[in-house]
Amino acid sequence: MKGKGTVMMALAAVLCLVLAGSVQAQAPAAKNVVIGFTASQTGKLNVEGMRQINGLNLWMERVNAAGGVKLADGSVVKFTSKFYDDESNKGRVQEFYTKLINDDKANFLVSPYSSGLTDAAAVIAQQNNRIMITAGAASDSTYKKGFTLVYQTYTPASRYLTGAVDILAKLDPKAKKIAIVHEKDKFSTDVVNDLKQYAEGKGYQIVLFEGYDAGTTDFAPFINKFPKDVDAIMGGGHFADTSTFAKQLHEKGIKPTVVALLVAPPEPKFAELGEAAVGIIGASQWEPAAKYSPEAAKAKNLEWFGPTVAEFVEAYTKKFNEEPSYHSAGGFVAGLLIEKAIAKAGSIDTEKVKAALDAMDIMTFYGHLKFDNTPAAHGLQVGHDMIYIQWQKDPKGALVKEVVWPEEAKTKDVIPMPKKK
Amino acid sequence: MKALQRFGFWLPVLFILIWGLYILTVRQDSAREQAFTLLMFVGLASSLNILLGYTGYVSFGHIVFFGLGGYSGFYFLSAHNLPLLLSALLGGVVSAILAGLIGLAVLRLRGAYFALATIGVNEAARAFVSNFEPFGGATGLFVNYSVYQGFGGPGPALWRTFIYLWLIVLITVIISYVIKNSRFGLGLLAIREDEDAAMVMGVKAPRAKTLAFMFSAFFPGVIGTLYFFKNGNVEPGDAFSLHMSIEMLVMVMLGGMGTVFGPVIGAVAYQGLRGFLLTSPLFKNLHLAIAGVFLLLIVLFVPAGAIGWLRERFLKLRKVLE
Repeated sequence: MKGKGTVMMALAAVLCLVLAGSVQAQAPAAKNVVIGFTASQTGKLNVEGMRQINGLNLWMERVNAAGGVKLADGSVVKFTSKFYDDESNKGRVQEFYTKLINDDKANFLVSPYSSGLTDAAAVIAQQNNRIMITAGAASDSTYKKGFTLVYQTYTPASRYLTGAVDILAKLDPKAKKIAIVHEKDKFSTDVVNDLKQYAEGKGYQIVLFEGYDAGTTDFAPFINKFPKDVDAIMGGGHFADTSTFAKQLHEKGIKPTVVALLVAPPEPKFAELGEAAVGIIGASQWEPAAKYSPEAAKAKNLEWFGPTVAEFVEAYTKKFNEEPSYHSAGGFVAGLLIEKAIAKAGSIDTEKVKAALDAMDIMTFYGHLKFDNTPAAHGLQVGHDMIYIQWQKDPKGALVKEVVWPEEAKTKDVIPMPKKK
Repeated sequence: MKALQRFGFWLPVLFILIWGLYILTVRQDSAREQAFTLLMFVGLASSLNILLGYTGYVSFGHIVFFGLGGYSGFYFLSAHNLPLLLSALLGGVVSAILAGLIGLAVLRLRGAYFALATIGVNEAARAFVSNFEPFGGATGLFVNYSVYQGFGGPGPALWRTFIYLWLIVLITVIISYVIKNSRFGLGLLAIREDEDAAMVMGVKAPRAKTLAFMFSAFFPGVIGTLYFFKNGNVEPGDAFSLHMSIEMLVMVMLGGMGTVFGPVIGAVAYQGLRGFLLTSPLFKNLHLAIAGVFLLLIVLFVPAGAIGWLRERFLKLRKVLE
């Protein structure tokens, strides 16, 4: 009898184990979603590229710590990332994206930093039916090429400086003349071509429209061509040339109502120009001082998603010991978009997530996000607006970067360029 | 037809032939992409070798032909809807013609003066394209994604581009061999050793150098068109990168200047190493430093390049390694 009892007990134990196993098998296992991208760790775009990675990593840490994203079948997805250094050049971008998809099994992709690199990567994303969120690819042309799986986080180049024309209209309704001087590279040329069209559409006269080569240090030939009664000067290119341009405008005493320039003004280093920086307006994708909030979302009848501006700035500053730039915010928001779309779709299937992205219309700490879903410009960012900053003096005379446009995000009113005493 | 009986001819040809066939057999996208990068540099280095290796003229401007030829081919493709292969070949022809014209001016210079002039040509070409509206000026040119649908989707389009590249690189290496072993090639080698003496011996140096320049420029033009088509766009910055020109010189010297197989090995070794370092979890943050140390060691200890060193060290190999 003793033997029989032992056998029965053993059977019962086995049964328990099997039952436990089947119960365990019923609870869906956590899925791992791989976000693949190439980043400009080295090369000319490395500062922007590294900040973007920092932003994305911070998002990943946050979403994983919060338990991941729950799918419709009850399972949970958590995120990991895989990336390679594209050295800021196009040479290996397609090779790396193919490797990320085929060897590293990336489920979703984030774009490289610039438009040219993104165009090359998008071909591979489409070939392999992978969604790619772009951060740093501002040119409109990328989204007008017929891609169906590419989504933009940045405000496109065509709307990069158009707000400056609206600012001019607000400051001086009688203003008529705008001069445009820009660097001859893809990004700046794209921006000013659309700026010119927009300004002319509003009835402004473009009195000067000229490009300069990268690395130009003497802007006197352009400055000498400005008519005395010019109302606004717009354009620029990258940090070094734009700062020099602003400095030389100040030295020559050129003070129209509005001076709005690309890239350089939002950088904290621009303050080193001192007096020459005062009144200069710059376009930025995002600023830590931006006042997007759940209340602002409610007022616009939009859903709010993700951390508040303050939470993002605090978490980023704590982790990386520097204030986040718009590149950092772009990296974070690229992840946030994937998270929101997966949550809404309840799946990681490309078609379902694509449908969720096509229908997306939300506000985050980074601003309003909505994509064009027409075949002509699929994925183009139509919700997000540029933020315009202006260097102003506080009561103590110190230079302060204030957000002056759009109205819902401003920290101070925009002022006309102070005239030289 | 003597070439067909020589091992030195078959070694590089078989190497590229089998490599391409292997990629077509395994049909993996990752393998194709990696092979595309390597083969592209094999073609570029081999074409540069026709000028650098055979005539001894150091050109920092070889990328001009990749850029201008590629731009022209891409223009025919995007603006005039010509077929890919025809556009690529036309890109090559434009490159060769430009090389003929540029050569008339700069090939009169020798040594460092020639090298400096080629850097100038590169910058001039970039400035020209940045301001040339039919080529899109500073914003460059692009093809619509629907172009790939004509090939049956982006996948088949990328495979087709790979096959064209593979064949053109194969032809580059064959032409490189044929030139080296022809009367014309002997004239070039004579120019390399002593141009004045060669002219005294009856080599028509200006004509021979210009022809070599045109041959070496044709292939980058074709390769450029294929590469830009694959990327879907072209901008002045990508097309005229001085950095790539220098890399080509490094690859030729690494493998062995003036040999047929050398640039093939140099390009595969250099770009293969760079690719490995860039994707290796262990080295990916140090890839530039490691690649630099390798190059330094090679330049210090194997200045004749891999094939050059083998030919010097083992005399019997001279019959086998061209």
